[in-house]
Amino acid sequence: MKASTSGSLIEILMVEDNPADVRLTREAFKDAKVLNKMSVVGDGEAALAFLRRQGRYADAPRPDLILLDLNLPKKDGREVLEEIKSDPDLKRIPVVVLTTSEDQRDVLKAYDMHVNAYITKPVNLDQFMKIVEAVENFWLSVVKLPPK
Amino acid sequence: MGIVMALLLALAAYFAMKAWFKEQEVEAVNRELVHENAERRRAEEAVARHAADLERSNAELQQFAYVASHDLQEPLRIVAGYVQLLARRYQGRLDAEADEFIAFAVDGATRMQGLISDLLTYSRVGSRGRAFEPVRCEDVLKQSLASLKLMIEESRATVTHDPLPTVTADAGQLHQLFLNLISNAVKYRGGTPPAIHIAAADRADAWQFSVRDNGIGIDPKYFERIFVIFQRLHGKDEYPGTGIGLAISKKVVENHGGRIWVESQAGKGATFYFTISKNLGRKQ
Repeated sequence: MKASTSGSLIEILMVEDNPADVRLTREAFKDAKVLNKMSVVGDGEAALAFLRRQGRYADAPRPDLILLDLNLPKKDGREVLEEIKSDPDLKRIPVVVLTTSEDQRDVLKAYDMHVNAYITKPVNLDQFMKIVEAVENFWLSVVKLPPK
Repeated sequence: MGIVMALLLALAAYFAMKAWFKEQEVEAVNRELVHENAERRRAEEAVARHAADLERSNAELQQFAYVASHDLQEPLRIVAGYVQLLARRYQGRLDAEADEFIAFAVDGATRMQGLISDLLTYSRVGSRGRAFEPVRCEDVLKQSLASLKLMIEESRATVTHDPLPTVTADAGQLHQLFLNLISNAVKYRGGTPPAIHIAAADRADAWQFSVRDNGIGIDPKYFERIFVIFQRLHGKDEYPGTGIGLAISKKVVENHGGRIWVESQAGKGATFYFTISKNLGRKQ
């Protein structure tokens, strides 16, 4: 599965307000087989500004993949997802919800809003590592992403 | 003539008196009835109020357990995650003591995660019940056995059953119940491969189910304790688990208007009984 995708750099945007979670995910992505660069924003408004290259994000790269937490300060992840998926310019970017919420309503609502995958963060580190590896393998190697 | 008049008057007076007494009596009875009625109404109101109070405090407790366990999980995931990361990165690179400390921390965090996730499951059994509908117990049993396939094969257990009825229930909860009781029967096995038998008996207003095994059995003095959440009779090295299964089973059975109990002797197998009410049109 090691599709060395023409050596191009994969841009990931992680929207997560908990630094401990960010670091843990970074650690997990560190061993990724695919060259990737992860940008992190801590709230929903910053996420949209980043994607729309507004304000201090004027030079932000366009991400190939968005990892989105649901419970975020300011603008909540559900609203961010809705805005991304209703924006003709952004809706093609795959969004993977990565959250602790196992709430059925959150799962259904996310898929109603065309999320590309919904993942519940496992409590166990080994499982978390495996999931990150799976995300990485699938989204960065297996799938054909839309051209930028 | 005078005598007749006097007699008539006396008679009239007698009847008037009698009527008056009767009236008094009726009035007294009436007053008593009114009083009794008022008292009964007050009592009924008090009962209704207590029932409402109980329902509310139950709902609050369930909500509390759910929120507590759900919100506790978040920081614990971070603690456990980083301790596990420490173990992964630095195992054998510090000194023996450090390895030991890290191992204890990992073990503690992992156990707490187990407890919290069980607490969450437990609180959900009460708060997230679905609508009750006709459920074929044979189907539920089949599902439960499929979930336990590996465990059953590994222990070379045989599971037999009598014809089982269709009951009005929450299918998911019933599945959990069968799963808990059968997996316990396999888990607490004796020297021989487990032989488990499931039966049902028609008891007028309820179905009475039984799950019989030939395992290590339970000393009667523990019959009450085993249904209490996180109560365990064995060390965790002996039989793993947090002690949630029977507590959940009890809650499921109570949700279905029934009760659960066990008959057993140490070393002589155990039979768990539970009833499912026949009068459950909808969720209670």
